Order: sequence, then C-alpha cells, then structure tokens
Amino acid sequence: MAEDLVLDTAIRDWVLIPLSVVMVLIGILRYFVSKLMQSSQLPDPKIVKEGQVIVRARNLRAAANFIPPKSFRSRRVYFSNEENGLLFVPKGQAQNAQAQMFSDPNMAMDMMKKNLSMIIPQTLTFAWVNFFFSGFVAAKIPFPLTQRFRSMLQNGIDLSTVDVSYVSSRSWYFLNLFGLRGLFSLILGEENATDDTQRMMQMSGFGFDPSKSLGAEKDGLDIVQHEWALPKFEHRAEAVLKKLIK
Amino acid sequence: MAGHSDSSSSEKKSTEAMNDVPIFSAENMQNNMKVIYYSRTFMSIIGGVIAGILGFTGFMGFVFYFLVMAITSIGLIAKAKFLVHSYFDSWNRIILDGFMGGLMSFVLFWTFAYDIVHIF
Repeated sequence: MAEDLVLDTAIRDWVLIPLSVVMVLIGILRYFVSKLMQSSQLPDPKIVKEGQVIVRARNLRAAANFIPPKSFRSRRVYFSNEENGLLFVPKGQAQNAQAQMFSDPNMAMDMMKKNLSMIIPQTLTFAWVNFFFSGFVAAKIPFPLTQRFRSMLQNGIDLSTVDVSYVSSRSWYFLNLFGLRGLFSLILGEENATDDTQRMMQMSGFGFDPSKSLGAEKDGLDIVQHEWALPKFEHRAEAVLKKLIK
Repeated sequence: MAGHSDSSSSEKKSTEAMNDVPIFSAENMQNNMKVIYYSRTFMSIIGGVIAGILGFTGFMGFVFYFLVMAITSIGLIAKAKFLVHSYFDSWNRIILDGFMGGLMSFVLFWTFAYDIVHIF
C-alpha cells in the first residue's frame, strides 16, 4: 500500500527550503536582538556577597582534605557558627530574600522581555506557516508512524488514505523547531537564547538562590568528614617518581 | 599534573591525583563536555544528510544513527588516548551524553535530504 506519491518540485523550492531558511534567519535575528536588549543592571551587592560566601564554603568542602584537621575545623566553625557564622540564617530572614527577589521591578522586566522575545517570533512564524502553507502535502518523513499520529501530522490534508508518512507543512515547521536547536548551538556559540530548556532552568534558578542554598551549604559543610590526605602524599610522590624512573 | 591542551579540539586533563583523591577542575570538565556536545551535533547532522542521500527508510535509518553515534564515541575515546577517567568523571558521559539532542537534528536533516533527493 505504500505507493510513492510524486510531488511537485515547486513544493521543494518554495516550501521546504524557504521555511528552513526563514527559521534559521529568525533564530539568528532573535539571538542578536536579545543581545542588544540586555539591560546592564548593577547586581545587588548583598546578593553578590552571599554568592561569594557560598563559593568559599564550597571550595572549603571540596579541598577539605588538604588542610590539617584543626584549621579545617576552625574554618568550619567560622562558617556555621550559631551566633555570627556567615552561613547561619535565622528562619525569619530566609523568607524575606525570596519575596524581595520577585517584587524587584528590574528583574521582573528582564524576565518578561526574555519571555516575549522567545514567544513572539514562534507565534508569528506559526501563524505565517498556517496561513500560507496549508492544505497540501509538504514532505515525506522516511520512517513509518502509526495511525494515531495522522491527526497531528496531516493537518490540512483531508484524505484519509494517504500514508501517514506524508506530512503537512505544519509538521515540517515543528520538525525544524526541534532540529535546528543543534544547528544554532554550532553556529552561534553556546550562549544563545533559542533553547527552551535553558530558559526554564534560568527562570527557576533565579528566585531561590540566596536563602535556600545558604542552608544547603551549611548542611553540606557539617556533613564533611575530614581525612587528612597529606601524610600519604610522601608515598604517592614515591610511587610517581618510581614510575617516572622506570 | 597540570592540564595541557592539544592542538585543535582541546580536551583538557581534568583530574589531578591518581590514587586516592580525584579532583576535577570544573572549567576543564565543562570544556570537555562542550567538545563532546559539538562533536555529536555535527556528526548527527552529517549522518542525517548521508542517511537521506543513501535512501535509508524506517528502521535502517535509526540503526544508522546508532552507528554514527558509536563512531563518534569511539573517535572521542581515541582522542582521549583511552584514558577516559583522566578527562571525564564517568564512562556514561562520553558514551551517552547528547544522544537525544542529536536525534532531533538527525531526523530533521535525514528528512530534508531524503525528500530532496528521492521524492522531488
């Protein structure tokens, strides 16, 4: 039953290639526009300070085994001391930082701008595709799919006997949307705003950074078991030198 | 053992100690991850075009995709001179990372090339 439809060359010239080219160009345009619209806001000094404290605590945790036990313990007390330890945040203050984040007008504007610049080109392109390129078979996908996908992929085509592999241009648009992400990361470098998942990760990482991670760092620091690795270093040096000499 | 960089696609050494205390230089690890990602994306695009031109359909195409990914993994491992643990923290990264993202690009370029060459 897999009869091979012969499709007009004009479809290839005027639908497939222009659609892909337009999507690539819009992606590049979006990248440059988002770069231009990046408002240079001065970061809040309190938040930067907290971030740096977290980085210091993390370094201490990672390199704990290279300093003698006493100095590690004294550093740990400096951080997690109940009275004036840097990481100790009383419960009342913890909630404040979060609320402040979300009501900060600058940050809200930034997130809105990023969201808009993501959604508008996609919506416009989708509407354009629907208006111009509907009602005919646009492409054939090389692998077979079940009948359930028919309604999703063959939107403008009202024949039910056509093979599900023959899809409309709407599905070509979606295929391009997902597949061009890899291409964008190659040609635009890694800092491009076209990846949806990256954007969602950034959005969720924003508001919760300061207060919760302080508590998390403190817990992590408390857990660390100190095992001083330096006494073994002489043996290691001996082993390395022996290997070199052989 | 400081990190040294190769000529073109620089994979940097990210572990320092051999026996007890593996320390990973985060920046070098990230760079290595990026190298893997770029290599896989590029290879999946090229693989897609090849699969389309050769006229693979259905299952054969996906088998070809796995083949291309395996060749990419072997190439990366060979570039790391088979000392996987001094460049990455686990085997899974060099073998499985970037699989799904590459799949979408592969399917797109496979469809594209297949249509251009065979249907039209």
